[in-house]
Amino acid sequence: MTALVVIDRAPYGDWRGREAVDMGFSLAAFDQPVSFLFTGPGVNWLRMGQDATELSQKNLARQLGAAAIFGVEALLVDHKALAAYQLSVDTLSSPAQPVTVSPGLYGQYDHILCL
Amino acid sequence: MPKTTALSFTLIITGAPYVSQAPQTALEFARAVIAAGHRIDRVFLYGDAVHLASTLACAPSDEPQWTQIWSEFLETHRVPAIVCIASALRRGVLDEKEQKRYQRPAHNLEPPFEIAGLGEWVEGTVSSDRTLYFHPTD
Repeated sequence: MTALVVIDRAPYGDWRGREAVDMGFSLAAFDQPVSFLFTGPGVNWLRMGQDATELSQKNLARQLGAAAIFGVEALLVDHKALAAYQLSVDTLSSPAQPVTVSPGLYGQYDHILCL
Repeated sequence: MPKTTALSFTLIITGAPYVSQAPQTALEFARAVIAAGHRIDRVFLYGDAVHLASTLACAPSDEPQWTQIWSEFLETHRVPAIVCIASALRRGVLDEKEQKRYQRPAHNLEPPFEIAGLGEWVEGTVSSDRTLYFHPTD
């Protein structure tokens, strides 16, 4: 089974993204092939220089930095959303592969998860 | 009428009762699954859906008591129901073991719900023929 965890909400506003990341990490920890896709406001998860101290939250970019340790196969990022939020693939907090979001992309996975 | 192959299902609910329609929709789907001769391997509560497993929820008497209704369905059809431990602890849904571990004054997990980790969800997604999510709408 191959899985894609879709993060389409901005970080820090609610807990769905965090809980989706936990699910993705669990899949990886149990040796299931899993990738993450950041799209829409979700691309801000990859924004460099996040400081959540004043929000009393954990730094989510740092949490995402553990993806490789857990064995997450790839971080994918919607290139259109990157442009919309004036982000560049060269300046993200974690290395991510720009992709075009399409039915064909989703069709490559057996299991799609989006909280 | 051609005989259909029986399938196994894992159902994941992420929306809380009385806030979202997710638990009710999942229950109606689960009833339809059983009625059609299929099997439910497990129900997994994640995120805000863990409130469905709180025995302390008290809806007004003219509203459905979703915790009890779900509990009866699970016991009648012997469907295992798992509450994600990380989601549950954050939201104050504890069994006796976690009550003792965290030294809280009470536990409130409605049987037959059980507390376990995300490994149960992974197992379900891998082993069941179908995995369905019931999210809140917003």
